[in-house]
Amino acid sequence: MILSTLIFLPIIFALILAAWPQKSTIRHLALGFSIIQFLVSLVMLNGFDSNSSALQFVENYVWIERFGIGYFVGIDGISVMLVVLTTFLMPIMILGSWKSIEDRVKGFHIALFILQTAMIGSFLALDAVLFYVFWELSLVPMYFIVGIWGGARRIYATVKFFIYTMAGSVLMLLAIIFMMRLTPEVTGGNISASLLDFYKLKIPFVAGEFFTAQTLLFFAFAVAFAIKVPLFPLHTWLPDAHVEAPTPGSVVLAGVMLKMGTYCYLRWVLPLFPEASEHFAWLFVVLGVVGIVYGALVAMIQPDVKKLVAYSSVSHMGYVIVGIFVMNSFGVNGALYQMLNHGISTGALFLLIGMIYERTHTREIAKYGGLASAMPNYTIAFIIVTMSSIAVPLTNGFIGEFLILMGTFKYNPWVAAVAVTGVVFGAAYMLWMVKKVFFGPKGEVVTESEKDSHHALHDLSVREFVVLAPLVVMIFWMGVFPNHFMDFSKKSIDHLLANKQNYSLEVK
Amino acid sequence: MNVTIGMSDILLISPMIALFVFSLLPLASKVLAGNKEQNTAATLIVALIGLVISGGLLVVFGGSDKTAFNGQLLFDGLTQWAGIIALIAAGAGLILMYENQSTNQSQFSEIMFLAMNSILGMLILVSSVHLLTLFIGLELMSLSLYLMIAMSNEQKISKEAAIKYFILGSFASALFLFGVSYIFGSTNTVDITDLMSNAATLVKTSKMFLFGLTFVILGFCFKVSIVPFHAWTPDVYQGAPTAVTSFMATAVKTVSFAAFLRIFATQALNGSQNLFDVLQWLAVITMTVGNLAALVQTNFKRTLAYSSISHSGYILVGLITAGISQNSAYSASSVLFYLLTYSVMTMGAFAIASMIEKSENHFLSNEDFAGFAKNRPVLALCLSVFLLSLAGLPPTLGFFGKFYLFSAAVSEGLVWLALWGVINSVISVYYYLRPIVMMYMRDGEANIADHPQQATTVTVVISAIFILIVGLFSSPLFTLFENSLG
Repeated sequence: MILSTLIFLPIIFALILAAWPQKSTIRHLALGFSIIQFLVSLVMLNGFDSNSSALQFVENYVWIERFGIGYFVGIDGISVMLVVLTTFLMPIMILGSWKSIEDRVKGFHIALFILQTAMIGSFLALDAVLFYVFWELSLVPMYFIVGIWGGARRIYATVKFFIYTMAGSVLMLLAIIFMMRLTPEVTGGNISASLLDFYKLKIPFVAGEFFTAQTLLFFAFAVAFAIKVPLFPLHTWLPDAHVEAPTPGSVVLAGVMLKMGTYCYLRWVLPLFPEASEHFAWLFVVLGVVGIVYGALVAMIQPDVKKLVAYSSVSHMGYVIVGIFVMNSFGVNGALYQMLNHGISTGALFLLIGMIYERTHTREIAKYGGLASAMPNYTIAFIIVTMSSIAVPLTNGFIGEFLILMGTFKYNPWVAAVAVTGVVFGAAYMLWMVKKVFFGPKGEVVTESEKDSHHALHDLSVREFVVLAPLVVMIFWMGVFPNHFMDFSKKSIDHLLANKQNYSLEVK
Repeated sequence: MNVTIGMSDILLISPMIALFVFSLLPLASKVLAGNKEQNTAATLIVALIGLVISGGLLVVFGGSDKTAFNGQLLFDGLTQWAGIIALIAAGAGLILMYENQSTNQSQFSEIMFLAMNSILGMLILVSSVHLLTLFIGLELMSLSLYLMIAMSNEQKISKEAAIKYFILGSFASALFLFGVSYIFGSTNTVDITDLMSNAATLVKTSKMFLFGLTFVILGFCFKVSIVPFHAWTPDVYQGAPTAVTSFMATAVKTVSFAAFLRIFATQALNGSQNLFDVLQWLAVITMTVGNLAALVQTNFKRTLAYSSISHSGYILVGLITAGISQNSAYSASSVLFYLLTYSVMTMGAFAIASMIEKSENHFLSNEDFAGFAKNRPVLALCLSVFLLSLAGLPPTLGFFGKFYLFSAAVSEGLVWLALWGVINSVISVYYYLRPIVMMYMRDGEANIADHPQQATTVTVVISAIFILIVGLFSSPLFTLFENSLG
């Protein structure tokens, strides 16, 4: 029952919030709820057996009998940390948006909780239709979060986000329907949407021919997920959505939603279409590497801090894709780790940018300069997060990128050589940005604040300190003791890589 | 021919008799009171009681697979369920008429009389398995409707819409009759059950039969607005009083498609590859044209009209599937389920339009919705549910409707039609999102009426809850449909 609790508790919270009469205590209530949800996920983590690759806490009920669709959820090493990441970021987001969301506070928190249901549901669903329902459900609250509480071009950004993502996923829906039609072969006559039955399917694959079942199904799924990741060249919605989204929207987008895409490669694409995945792995590795370098280069010339971080997301998610598609132990372990890292470090970056934006109402790098003297604590936090983002040893980013690059090197040294340039470029644009914003001559923002006491720049408040502290702790914890986290997923990844052709999952 | 009418016939058509009796009550009381309009609320309640009784009788006697009047009317699962869907949609339509601005309150009894008789025509249409009886049902339904469109407070546009609909509707009826005459000429029968057994071979052997069948199908294509026979739809949907539009777009469409399904059930498609190809293309064109045209509309009702055209395209995919399928109960029930889905969400959207238009001359545009979410949060939420459901987003009913429809198509190998269907769903998202953008994301004073309309509000809220709940628990309903159609 614990997984259903994780999925549906946020919906119940949203309903309570909707009925809550007192406007002034909505935030407190939401924060309390999100902490309860996080504690529930810790209870789940405590009961999780990391020495097994089997699905755990499985719940399987018939939902739509006629089509063999079930309410089938379970967790294994691949999804467990992502679920915890989702619940971990939620209280941080709510506390982080304490001051920035002023309008329609209740609606905002309701949307956040519905989004949480959708995201956790997509990570846990083991039934294709159930998964699709959660996957698409995540669009609606995000659409409202960006569209209502976003910046000036929010409507353009949110509609683009919605249509882009939906365009990818409807083809996946068709592929799901098609695969359901094939299941009677393996279930003995009954149609089924269960992922475990899908795993048993042997879909014919012919190398070199595009119009064969497995290749088409592979692309239907892979493109849907690639849009979500986003993989170059399908990434164009992301910078718009990130820049226009309110701070918590950016955090949840970068922190969790992008991971839904990469996670699904491990859960759906690689095991379901082993031959096609292997055959087209080069394509995804190449696009991933192009994304790494392209994202970094574009980030380098951005005048807007938030846009810079958005493009750095494209670059970082490129690493994850490369790590997955090199299909060796280093790569996939690194990719899964990098998903968590990116969630924490990019989430932290967006929160930091949000904090300074609340004070100055500008995100233009050129207007800053010399911020370090005005806000020393803020500067320290920012630099720590930057170190994590550019993968300095002892921070979490280092472990992830290092493993991915090791895996890539084993796959093909030349590809690794190109990917490594992304690390260099990444360091370059982040450090330049830090230099321009925090050091050097005092910029417009700082001089104005010194002249005018109304615009004085306050350093981190207690609330902001509480928001950032857990993230900074995680950055070092994950950087120094990676095994504390990787042990959860190790068995599942080994199992995946050892049984690429005949993947199946036991149910515990 | 020896025709005897027995008790069983009377019992079978009792839902229709009930409708007719209840349609007379308000009219009679008005005449007896010296042609003065009585309490309109009482009139509405009498009409709704009539619908409920008729629906109850349909549930009791409808699904028995018996025929009445020498095999002219068939009371099977399709009659029963299509009838019930139509009655529910029509009932909601009547509630809208009661509170809509453009309804002429001094003629309310007449409107109810016409509406009830139109519903009577619908029941004849879905139950008839005789092409001429079917025609009678079709005409009874349509003629009442022409009048209802014209009986608006508004003087110009609705009259124009009525004339347009009348002329084009008559033209479609003529095509239909023309086709029936060829079918009769070539086979000596107009009984659909007779035709069913040999239509697949007849279309191969008899050119004349194929010709006649094509015209019958064309006649229906007009009625359910399949492109390129859709041109009347946007004008009539926009021009007609919104309450009547909702009635047309839901109840009328449901029964027309149900009757259309009977023509397809003759298995004629399996005999004629050409007909099969043409219909597939019509489905693709209908979906695409409907959606592309909706993209450029600014008027809300017109957008819904084009959306309704594109949904006709989706339903046609289901009809084609049912037409070629050996186990047509499955695909037919997916069509029926989609009709239910479509009716509820379209009714909801039109109901909101009907509530907030300021007067009969107010053409609600998308801009009018700016700031709506702040003025009327509940209605805005409901409209969002309807629009997202029309776009086919899970977990709404609209998603499950499309899922069943396209699953059926894929199971019959019509993957490419399903592909067009899902691509079109994406296109449609753009215009379904537009009012939502306006309501929630733009500030402004919503340019809308604000006198409370309780009955319509209740209808809207119930529809929205229905869409959210029934979608998630649609399994028993679908199985029920499939069992009763099997």
